[in-house]
Amino acid sequence: MGIKKVGAKPQTLVEKIFFLDFIKGLKTTIKHLWKKVITVDFPYEVVTPPARFRGIHGLRTVDGTENPEFDSWVKRLKIKPPEPGETRCIACKFCQAACPVPELFDIQSEKLDVPEDHPHYGLKVMTVFNMDLSKCTFCGLCTQACPTDCIIMTDIYDLSSYTRKSWVLDKDVLTQIANDFVARRGKEKFDEKSAWREDQKLWPEYDKTREKLWDFNMPRLGPNYQEQTA
Amino acid sequence: MAWISLEKAKKLEERFGYPKVSEGKGVVSVEVPKDKFIEFLTFLKEDPEYQFKMFIDLTIIDHGEKENPRFQGVVILFSPKNQERIIVKTWAENETLPTLTNLWKGAKWAEREAWDMFGIKFEGHENLVRMLLWETYPYHPLRKDFPLEGIKDTELPSLNESLRGENLEGLFNYDRMHTALPTMEDLEITQKKRMPVKTSQIVLNWGPLHPGTHGTIWFLFDLDGEYVKQCDIIIGQLHRGVEKLGENVNWQQFIPYTDRMDYIAAINENHAYVLAAEKMLGIEVPEKAKWIRTMMAELSRINSHLLWLGTYALDLGALTMFLYTFREREKIMDIIEGITGARFTINYFRIGGVFADLPYGALDAIEHLIKDLPQRINDYETLLTRNRIWLSRNKDVCIITEEDVYQYGLTGAVARGSGVPYDVRKIDKYDAYGEVEFDIPVGEKGDSYDRYLVRMEEMRQSIRIIAQCVAKLRKMSKNDPYFFQTPDEKKLKVTIDGRGMKLPAGETYASSDNPRGELGFYIYNKKDGLKAHRMRIRSGAFYNLQVFTKAIIGRPIADAITLLSTIDPVVGETDR
Ligand code: SF4
Ligand code: SF4
Repeated sequence: MGIKKVGAKPQTLVEKIFFLDFIKGLKTTIKHLWKKVITVDFPYEVVTPPARFRGIHGLRTVDGTENPEFDSWVKRLKIKPPEPGETRCIACKFCQAACPVPELFDIQSEKLDVPEDHPHYGLKVMTVFNMDLSKCTFCGLCTQACPTDCIIMTDIYDLSSYTRKSWVLDKDVLTQIANDFVARRGKEKFDEKSAWREDQKLWPEYDKTREKLWDFNMPRLGPNYQEQTA
Repeated sequence: MAWISLEKAKKLEERFGYPKVSEGKGVVSVEVPKDKFIEFLTFLKEDPEYQFKMFIDLTIIDHGEKENPRFQGVVILFSPKNQERIIVKTWAENETLPTLTNLWKGAKWAEREAWDMFGIKFEGHENLVRMLLWETYPYHPLRKDFPLEGIKDTELPSLNESLRGENLEGLFNYDRMHTALPTMEDLEITQKKRMPVKTSQIVLNWGPLHPGTHGTIWFLFDLDGEYVKQCDIIIGQLHRGVEKLGENVNWQQFIPYTDRMDYIAAINENHAYVLAAEKMLGIEVPEKAKWIRTMMAELSRINSHLLWLGTYALDLGALTMFLYTFREREKIMDIIEGITGARFTINYFRIGGVFADLPYGALDAIEHLIKDLPQRINDYETLLTRNRIWLSRNKDVCIITEEDVYQYGLTGAVARGSGVPYDVRKIDKYDAYGEVEFDIPVGEKGDSYDRYLVRMEEMRQSIRIIAQCVAKLRKMSKNDPYFFQTPDEKKLKVTIDGRGMKLPAGETYASSDNPRGELGFYIYNKKDGLKAHRMRIRSGAFYNLQVFTKAIIGRPIADAITLLSTIDPVVGETDR
């Protein structure tokens, strides 16, 4: 069992008399004098969060990239088949069940008020979807539970506001957030079937601000495993 | 596997007659009658064959109002000689137990916590006051009949939105009634009770909101001139009842709460918890997940030690260090953010593995980082290690002896600084730690300087481990599983999102070596369940902080800063 003894090393006389300890320390400090500034000047400069970043939630809409089970889930929960542009949420409440703080969700669905001969008779739609993000731990469990990849987490992180009420996001706001995010960075994060892309990058390489916090010496991102390709 | 063998425990049964040996999930526990409790523990501690002289934890299980006796005391001990642990249990009839403080001084705080949370009286305890809550608080919150949301008996309208006035209609608003809060008088009573006899002229209050305390810790120093004669610590300002939460949320759902204990090293907190839960389930996680977890845990250790080094040096007047360490820390945070999606409250590990594979480029970034890091650590050392100011503020300051380590149950760098090579990574060999090579750095004297050197060396050893993990992961395939695949969904369900996951009945204890000491989870389940019956969190920082009250005695008040920094507690974990 490897045990390594570390112990005090007393100062030698030479070190004491010639202040070698201070000189050596100053050398290190002086080396840094001519280095470039590495702090990011927030909010004038921002680092783009990585694709996996767990920010504010969004609710995705139907856009042709649903996962293969989507239709069967819609059928199973007796939801009106959504048109393109309508929400993917089937009000199954799996997200709430997986959440460590379930009371932050308020999800409701209603039966459609249509005559009996209408094809949508007896089917439901999701009508209320409120999330109180002041209680959210941003753990991401809800996104992993969602069977339709409807609830996602985006790269937005500023949630400050003057009232508690504005931390409660409703379904329209959430849908808007997701639409924006998917248009902006959807390709980076999701594949054609809405799952996480296999080759998600550790962080976006187009972001040049990140170089600063890496001392202008960024690592080049390559495959992790032998047979992996970009 | 670091537990006393069943045969050996059976020998105890033969010898005394009264102990009842039972096997939990990978643990061995012995039940003894209450009147033989102290006798039995003394034997375990002193017998040359067993030598369970290191105190690990003491807690209570509440079996529910209907049971009689209702409460059960649980003690976990470690034998440095045999490198094994044991659990000793006894029933707390009439809600009392004999005190253990004559055997292990470290039991003092644990017993106070048990009194605070369960209302168990410890006969013979020198000053049985509350640990985390204030003295006049009327309830014992970890009892099963205390509701999770608390008892709302105090009016507190200020939480409501002033813009909307009294109008509470609509969703997600706050109740006017709140659980009890301490008033100034309550705090005064608490303070008086903590230090009933004043020996000197002045009692100095340090904290709870002082930047040097690294959080909300409230110190009381009984001072004779510059020298500390008596000391006590009031913690609990950050108490959120994580143990209670653990008994009321599902298994995977508890992981985000563990993030919020030791928020500096959230990955390691997750790690300890998932290890305990996996031990309970009796599952083996896939190889790839093991290596990823080991690598992430070590990254997190470096991250945590860099923060420690920066703030420690800052407290002792070396401001530059803080800027240097935060530069490297930012890079680690950046990698962690890329892999897990969060910088601080990480929630990456799951019971059964991790929730996602490494993203493209992760290993390259980590390799890049660890190529650079040893040089940076050398830079830090040039600035500090031989510096005469640093030496005079650290050398021979607040010595913690080997005996203290066993008495107080000290773990992590504090134990290793005192020359005890206690490292759960080597003892339990969890995840990939059995397969990687690394050394345990130990100090010689146990002074602050040794604790400093030990942590510096730990960072280097972590780099060594990470390099081995990266090399191993490189050889794996992208199709290797990173999450446990159950052979039979009906019998054993393990899901990434945690819905419908049940853990079997039984008890277990598993721990990991956190940057702040041994973090252990003791889980007790009456029957198969979606939630734990008892979730005990053995916090390394809590026990390490306790030795502060001893090591500071006789030292000048300026050493309090040094000692606190080298013990390095995080309030989120001490208070839970
Ligand atoms: S991120 Fe976590 S806490 Fe927030 S809504 Fe989702 S599951 Fe709940
Ligand atoms: S899990 Fe997905 S589909 Fe189900 S209610 Fe939540 S957001 Fe809607």
